[in-house]
Amino acid sequence: MSRFDLQLSRREWLRLSAAGVLGASMSGWLENLANAVAGNPERKRSCILLWMNGGPSQMDTFDLKPGHKNGGPFKEIATTVPGMKFSEHLPKLAKQAKHLAIVRSMSTKEGDHSLATYYLRTGYRAQGPVQYPPLGATLSKELGDASSPLPNYVSVAPVTFISPAAFTPGFLGPEYAPLIVGNQGFGFGNAPDYDRALKVEDLQAPNDVKREQVDSRIELLQGLQRDFVAKHPGVPALSHQSAYERAVRLMRTAASKAFDLKDEPAKLRDRYGRNLFGQGCLLARRLVERGVPFIEVTLSAINGVQVAWDTHQQNFDQVQKLSQVLDPAWSTLLEDLEQRGLLDTTLVVWMGEFGRTPQINPQVGRDHFPNAWTTVLSGGGIKGGTVYGKTSPDGMEVKDKPVNVPNFLATVAKAVGVDPTKQNMSNVGRPIRIADAGSKPIEEVLS
Amino acid sequence: MAHPRLWIAALAVLGLATPAWADPDPRADARALAAKIDQLIAARWQAEHVTPAPLADDGAFLRRLSLDVIGRVPLVSETRLFLRDSLSEKREQAIERLLDSPGYVSNFSNIWRDLLMPEANADFQQRFLSANMERWLRKQFTENASFDRIVRELLTMPMPNGRNGMAVYYGPQQGDPTPLAFYQSKQGKPENLAASTARLFLGIRLECAQCHNHPFSHWTREQFWGQAAFFGGIRTQGQNGIFSPLSEVADRRELAIPGTERVAQARFLDGKEPQWRYKVTARNTLADWMTAADNPFFARAIVNRVWAHFFGIGIVEPVDDLNDENKPSHPELLDELAHQFVRHGFDLRFLIRAITMSKTYQLSSVYPSAASPDVHLFAYMPVKGLSQDQLIDSFHLVTGTPSQGGRRGFNFNVNGFENKFTNQEKRTEYQTSIPQALALMNSQLVGNATHPSRSVFLAAVLNAPFLDTDGRIETLYLAALSRKPRPDELEKYHRYIEKGGAAKDPKAALGDVFWALLNSPEFFLNH
Repeated sequence: MSRFDLQLSRREWLRLSAAGVLGASMSGWLENLANAVAGNPERKRSCILLWMNGGPSQMDTFDLKPGHKNGGPFKEIATTVPGMKFSEHLPKLAKQAKHLAIVRSMSTKEGDHSLATYYLRTGYRAQGPVQYPPLGATLSKELGDASSPLPNYVSVAPVTFISPAAFTPGFLGPEYAPLIVGNQGFGFGNAPDYDRALKVEDLQAPNDVKREQVDSRIELLQGLQRDFVAKHPGVPALSHQSAYERAVRLMRTAASKAFDLKDEPAKLRDRYGRNLFGQGCLLARRLVERGVPFIEVTLSAINGVQVAWDTHQQNFDQVQKLSQVLDPAWSTLLEDLEQRGLLDTTLVVWMGEFGRTPQINPQVGRDHFPNAWTTVLSGGGIKGGTVYGKTSPDGMEVKDKPVNVPNFLATVAKAVGVDPTKQNMSNVGRPIRIADAGSKPIEEVLS
Repeated sequence: MAHPRLWIAALAVLGLATPAWADPDPRADARALAAKIDQLIAARWQAEHVTPAPLADDGAFLRRLSLDVIGRVPLVSETRLFLRDSLSEKREQAIERLLDSPGYVSNFSNIWRDLLMPEANADFQQRFLSANMERWLRKQFTENASFDRIVRELLTMPMPNGRNGMAVYYGPQQGDPTPLAFYQSKQGKPENLAASTARLFLGIRLECAQCHNHPFSHWTREQFWGQAAFFGGIRTQGQNGIFSPLSEVADRRELAIPGTERVAQARFLDGKEPQWRYKVTARNTLADWMTAADNPFFARAIVNRVWAHFFGIGIVEPVDDLNDENKPSHPELLDELAHQFVRHGFDLRFLIRAITMSKTYQLSSVYPSAASPDVHLFAYMPVKGLSQDQLIDSFHLVTGTPSQGGRRGFNFNVNGFENKFTNQEKRTEYQTSIPQALALMNSQLVGNATHPSRSVFLAAVLNAPFLDTDGRIETLYLAALSRKPRPDELEKYHRYIEKGGAAKDPKAALGDVFWALLNSPEFFLNH
């Protein structure tokens, strides 16, 4: 064994293990790579978050108000669950209604994109020095396998510029950072080549550097790393070594084939929808199959054209287009997971940062509205065919069973079998719960 | 007194502090404080039976000093000159040179921008506003403004009150540089401003006391709102979030505590009653108290923060939590640093000079035996992760690649490479991410930087007629690691390059060595 093994005190080992630094074996990191994939009898649950960037209109998706002047032109259709009705532009999803629990009573009090995105993703308001991690980081920490060749948290096509802190691992540190693919970065998305966009960035060396050259470079690097770690046995050096080890595992593992969607039958790819979001959902299924516990897929642009759910103008036009992307992707995802026996262990969450005003503005748009809006839980851990909470006939207020942000996130955590009261040490030395103190999961929507 | 220099020399020989009145050398007092630092740190080693690490060698010292003072690694030429220099005073001279360089101004402006407006790293609207404050900070550090003056200017900055209200909207890069963005980023809310200024300038965490009396903190809710009341006159107009114009009602010294019937009166945190004076605003009164020489928190909080910048950990940890239950590791040292900082007019450069002159700062990061002592004893230099600025600026400098310049000011041109590197608060527990490793290994940027003909730097090294293989390896080491290769390293890489590596091409093999150095933890970390 190398010298640093001997140098680490028991306390340091515990600290490093707690920090996730020593998750995997440190030796032989070019060998024994692809074996750990799947096949775990103690399979834990996974979560797929369908993130609706910009704030989707509840009035035109899952909480229609036909006949009211706030209602707009969309019609309600029946679903396979008696009494549950939603938008005519989600017909395929209507057939999956038995898997859905619609929460129509979200009440979240934050109407700014940046602050609300942070709030809904972390469960905490951005305030003071605490860097709260998003749910993807906290849940993948609980559900993930540190020795897995694939990262435990993958984010597909996030639009991070609106609230970048909500897309970092916060105080949990970079060990829990999402691996981002289909990045739309600071600017707006223009990724019509979704096959390419969905691959891991920098997974392979530039074309003119051949595999043998990469190997010999890495060998040189390993020598430098060993040298440095032996002299500096602490978190920064060990974490550097561990990140490179995991990065090289990812470069070398067959599991990274997950990001190569060309393996999928053309017909199935068609059903998901030939666009970044649809193919992102297909990627999410492939990652769940390979044991990745948390994947988020953002719906914001359609084939490079930024539509987003921030429909201050031409709301109905845009929501219809977005629904036509959402409907096949989400419904096919549920079907596909079910056929592969993965739906029972996979929670699929649909949410944005807030809803939209029931009143229709002069630009035929709807504005930001956090007071009464909708999220949807589907799949594993969820009591499907449920409608929870109710808004007033004009949609302006929650009439029954309001749900705040901490309670909603506690519900998500519990649905994947994670204790929402579990605490993590924060960057200010204060333990922070996964869902804020006092929160309670909504038992009525949990199976 | 015919020969004051003789007197000073005599005092120095006797080991006595040079009196300020006779001080022709600004370094003398810093030298004395450095000696005091070493004395107080060594006293603890003795008590704990700890042997310190040896002094860092010249290359390691210069690299560490450059990263800490000017935010980037030294140039090859700087390192060569420094290693060659045989003057006994060369470390002191390097400190002076760096403190006098523009790099010091930009580095500490960036550091304080990150502290005052951390929101601007994460939010493009805040980024837009921060540009003017960055100019204001650069002005302060260029003028070597004393720290009490910087804080006073920040605390007392007049609100626009309608004047130029929209200027901040359209032109944060134009007009007089002001710290207004600080108030905007806190949305002009008295409670945010109180919490943020108390944390940054007093090392007091009031946030928890905002809503309730915290069982583990002796700050009460009354005290929190009493502090917030100094900002109680500030108003925001409209619903435009951080872009809402700010104004201030004069003579307001109280604030209604939200959700209660009570009104908090402006009160200092040490319990002293404010002495209100005619036409002196609440924020001016607060600034008088906060920056006073005898304020029990101000000087201690800032010297602790500066110490933590250079050592990765504070004398009090966390750096912004100075309270009775959270004891300093070296109480006497904290007092002495604070005392001298006040005595020298809150001069940041004096403080930095003294800290970096100390043997304690100059210790090696390699502890010679297996059982390294508690890091809080400062018996060796802890390894620190680099900030985004340090890493990116050093990378571009070493590789000769142009920066996208998207990290400051109103500039959205952030490329994927730079974005992967973010600041981490606990730099001594810095964690590397997979995308960071992948970007440094495989990105086109690094591919080009390590390609024998596409890299300007490598091409120059390869074509320099005065360099042989060993000379080339040495240049790469000096560039990336600020040191010469050890004989075993030289031999290993010499052999590798002569064989041509996997590509069977000595030029490509030199690129391989450069690639390995750029990916090494020795480049990636501050040690």
